[in-house]
Amino acid sequence: MNKYLRTVQLSWQEGLVYRTNLIMWRVRQILGSLMSLSLWTVLFSKNSQLFGYSQDQMITYVFIVALLQSVILATALHGISGYIYRGQLARELLKPIKLFTYFASLDLADKLKNLFFVLVESVFLYLIFQPVLSLPNPIFGLIFLIWVVAGTIINFLITLLFGAIGFWSPDAWGPKFLFFMIVDFTAGKLFPLDILPKIVQQLIYLTPFPYLSYAQTQLFLGKMSNAEILTGSLGLIFWIFILYMLTTRIWRRGTKNYEAIGN
Amino acid sequence: MKLLAIKKYWHFWTMLARNELQTSFVNRYTNLLFLVGKLIRFGMGVLFLILIKNNTRMLGGYTSDQAIVFFLTYQFVDTIVQAIYRGAYNFGHQVRTGEFDLTLSQPINSLFRALLGKPDFNDVAFIIPTTVISVWLMANLNIEITFINFLIYLILLINSFIIATSLHILALSVGILTTEVDNLMWIYRDISRMGQFPVNIYGQPLKLALFFLIPIGFMYTVPAQVLLGTKPEYLLAIAFIISASFFTFSIVIWRWSLKRYSSVGS
Repeated sequence: MNKYLRTVQLSWQEGLVYRTNLIMWRVRQILGSLMSLSLWTVLFSKNSQLFGYSQDQMITYVFIVALLQSVILATALHGISGYIYRGQLARELLKPIKLFTYFASLDLADKLKNLFFVLVESVFLYLIFQPVLSLPNPIFGLIFLIWVVAGTIINFLITLLFGAIGFWSPDAWGPKFLFFMIVDFTAGKLFPLDILPKIVQQLIYLTPFPYLSYAQTQLFLGKMSNAEILTGSLGLIFWIFILYMLTTRIWRRGTKNYEAIGN
Repeated sequence: MKLLAIKKYWHFWTMLARNELQTSFVNRYTNLLFLVGKLIRFGMGVLFLILIKNNTRMLGGYTSDQAIVFFLTYQFVDTIVQAIYRGAYNFGHQVRTGEFDLTLSQPINSLFRALLGKPDFNDVAFIIPTTVISVWLMANLNIEITFINFLIYLILLINSFIIATSLHILALSVGILTTEVDNLMWIYRDISRMGQFPVNIYGQPLKLALFFLIPIGFMYTVPAQVLLGTKPEYLLAIAFIISASFFTFSIVIWRWSLKRYSSVGS
């Protein structure tokens, strides 16, 4: 356990070494939130209700999506397929560590760092827009936290799945880019999914993507019935199970034939 | 003499472009996925605006139909700029590895090479369907476009292109001084994305900064305002003064930073 904690520490420190990168990355996140908040504020200046949301609910939605983006969707493992393809994974395979736990430690440090900064930035945005945030009751708040952890696990497994492309091909960026574009939309990053026609929503719910932010925000805003919370919880468990089985199987096959020539 | 130089640079650029085209065919499946991803993003942007159009009448003082014109203007200018100046994204790597030394030793303008050396054919392929869709959308919107407004719009788009060029040159100059250009380019993209909507929706001082510090207001908002026949945010002359000032400033900064270049890779 100690070695993984040390990995978290080292990864945290490494993330702070390239400060310009970090600052610019955070500036980009602020700009995204600033654009969304400005747009919705203008739209609500003439409407008290839009797409079934009040202004407070929509502003809360933007804040929560920004938070979840930093916790669930942010990852330190973007370059993992290149890491594998270049043969650098050989170093980790020789160490007395569990590979997935090691990657999870790297990811955890990145998420903690992002969470810290997004909280600071949220205070800044809060002072500008001074919104009235809609907060959930304690029980829904607790379920929300569990769903955030579950969503983080799903994203971690999907990232490893894409990373596994590196066992066979150097071209992982194409599929990854397509995934980002789909997630931007299906995870509710651009706009809440319930503004879409019912049939499109149902189709999106057949994928794991709504569990990467959207479902959590709906729970936070109290827009889910007890039955929907139960279905959502089962959906999260289902996707974690399926993705775990798929990821472990593919990684087992990948590492079995891994050659890492020249390393 | 000048004609000869233009001929030489044109020949050189077409050679670079041919090489890039061949590279994009080597990675054709990856490029296809990138293209699909970009089309999805474009589709989602349009869908979002149509949903807004169906639910609300006004956006920042403009009708929902007019708001779509702002988005399409942004989309058109941004895609052309990406297609031509994609090389700027790779410049940081060239400086860090010392590859830029090779450019400096060639009898070709180093700025030309850094800026135009890597056209993106993926974006070229993207422009075709999105322009067709944009024209079809515009034809079906409830807006009035006069010939004279369209003409001024085209002139203002050229002006937008000059501003975008200046911003790219400034980013390259920072790249020489700090070796950090990649993130700066992405920040430019994010700020540029704010121009998808009329810049008036942003509060002060952000709005002022979007007109005079990173003038995306003059790149996207003002041309769209002119096309729609609405009163532009500022006098059109200011748009041209801004582009001329930014361009001159960026060239001066580029020359200044080039003198401070020290190869780190060699």
